[in-house]
Amino acid sequence: MVELVLFVITAVAALAGAVTVVTARNPVHSAMGLFGTLFSLAVIYVVNLAHLVAAVQVIVYAGAVMTLFLFVIMLIGVDKAEDTSEHLPRQRTLVAVLGAAVGLVVVALIVSGRFVWVPAGGGDVEIPNGTVQAVAEPLFTTWILAFEVTALLLTIAAAGAIALAYFKRGLIREEHE
Amino acid sequence: MIFPDVSWAAIAPEIALVAGAVAILLVDVQWKPEPRVLGGIVALSVVAAAVLSVGQWFRLDTPSDITIPFGGMIAFDRVSVLARFVLLAVTAMGVAGGWRLFERLGRRAAEALALVLLATVGFSFMASSIHLVMIFLGLEVGSISLYVLAGITRERPDSDEAAMKYFLLGSFASAVFIYGVALLFAGTGRLALLGQRAFLDANIVTRPAVLLIGMALVIVGLGFKVSAAPFHTWAPDVYQGAPAGVVGFMAAGAKIGGFAALTRILFTGFPLMADEWASVVAIISALSMGIGVVLALVQDDVRRMLAYSGVAHAGFILTGVVAGAAAEPGIWFYLAAYTIQLVAGFAIVAAVTGSAAGRSGLDAFAGLAVRSPFLAAAFTVTLLGMAGIPLTSGFVAKFGVFVSAWQAGFSWLVIVAVLASVVAFGVYLRVIVVMYMREPGEAASPTPSTAARWMLVAATVSTILFGVLPQPLLDLARNAFSV
Repeated sequence: MVELVLFVITAVAALAGAVTVVTARNPVHSAMGLFGTLFSLAVIYVVNLAHLVAAVQVIVYAGAVMTLFLFVIMLIGVDKAEDTSEHLPRQRTLVAVLGAAVGLVVVALIVSGRFVWVPAGGGDVEIPNGTVQAVAEPLFTTWILAFEVTALLLTIAAAGAIALAYFKRGLIREEHE
Repeated sequence: MIFPDVSWAAIAPEIALVAGAVAILLVDVQWKPEPRVLGGIVALSVVAAAVLSVGQWFRLDTPSDITIPFGGMIAFDRVSVLARFVLLAVTAMGVAGGWRLFERLGRRAAEALALVLLATVGFSFMASSIHLVMIFLGLEVGSISLYVLAGITRERPDSDEAAMKYFLLGSFASAVFIYGVALLFAGTGRLALLGQRAFLDANIVTRPAVLLIGMALVIVGLGFKVSAAPFHTWAPDVYQGAPAGVVGFMAAGAKIGGFAALTRILFTGFPLMADEWASVVAIISALSMGIGVVLALVQDDVRRMLAYSGVAHAGFILTGVVAGAAAEPGIWFYLAAYTIQLVAGFAIVAAVTGSAAGRSGLDAFAGLAVRSPFLAAAFTVTLLGMAGIPLTSGFVAKFGVFVSAWQAGFSWLVIVAVLASVVAFGVYLRVIVVMYMREPGEAASPTPSTAARWMLVAATVSTILFGVLPQPLLDLARNAFSV
């Protein structure tokens, strides 16, 4: 019961935050909405015993990434006017119709199959333990290769950022010289 | 104390490539060498990876010899080694064919070359993964490198635009893919492909809604990566805006990685649901062929033409996918033949209209036969190979996948494919006519780099050789599969 109440509160907060992100006119409000969503999700993670994910969510997303967002917004300027006119005619209607169609198909399929939502589960599924120790062990045994490949992604990000930021000094030399 | 299930032999080629990428970045920081030195490091690490792959091939005795190290993340089998051979060939040819670009990039050449190697690592992992999470990681490592490479000549707005478009649409496709992975996990309780297959073997799923949605989303996500219609809209703009010297590698690498992952997921994970996915893949295939050839006909830019023809080729390869695991040797022959032609085609585009430039109007190719008979001849062979003229590798490739699809009972798809091939011939003939029949304008004679020349010779020879004598390559492909 407590879980349900907690879920409802945080789920509503998460959705409200998500709606704010899209609808707010002021980018700072959008950033704050995102913050609310991320934080609510962290609470849901804690309820599901995913302590590590919750901590990472708060520290990395709500902490570091959000700060970065705010910095960028401040640097660009909050009150800078933006051209919000749309160039693709009837785009909104089209998106609404297609989105509703996809949503309907998904809902219909799930409702028609709701009693076998997780057929693999059965009765013997252990409740996952998401504490830091419990995550660390598989991370460095079963998932070691995935972990290392993720490290490659960081290398790519660093190399890519340098390459893309460098362009003013290293102007391309003339072709056919 | 639990120790990870490490198999150095299984990832040795990838380690060589990563070592090369890291070495390039470090050497560049310390000594700021000429691009030539960095190219040498690329060559060294690609050759090392190729040699290690050959070693892997002989270490694995038979096609059915498969081990699954790293806690079931990747498969150590001949299929992944074969995919890596194709990938390494494309990487080497891509760097050689676009070498002028890396020379002109100045200080950015190190990052660009390192990203090419890292993208190769990503696609190579995509090919060897047998676990959905690992496939996703390989996909991201490869794709994110490509997003940066598309925008590496940022001083041109269209390159910037290409990178942005590719990044946004690519991220969206990745999100679709990972949503599909989540639903497949929800439907089977497993992420390893062999585990999912075992689950479907042992259980009858009476209401497979979650599984079907998951599979559809996975197919859409990978369909984007291989630029199959109707998920192809990014391809023409990206191929046109990105620097010509690297487009060939981008397009070929993404196709190899995408098809490797798609075949692995469908054939290894869900062969028991072939009735469900085969019809969907067949429709995507027919759409890709139709849209690809028709739109390729009306393009006035050679790169957009090659992009739409790439959409059509994705459709042709999908005719093999429809046929199931029996078509796998044919699919890999097609991928090998086509990606080499693709890289060669863009190397010629880079030589004619500039390796760092965007846009390559058809007019720039007028009278190329007079200005540079070598390039015109190489482009002619490449285009005829793409068209699938007999005595080129493209013909053998098309024949192989069409026969598989026909035997699998998809005769309507084969008829569409043959019709599309006929129209596609017109697409390629148009460029050949412009090269040989039109008067050359004031434009200077293009001078490809020595590396590009050798690479074009190799590509042309392989296109003809595998057309006349396809048996060795076909046997190699067949030896990788236990069908």
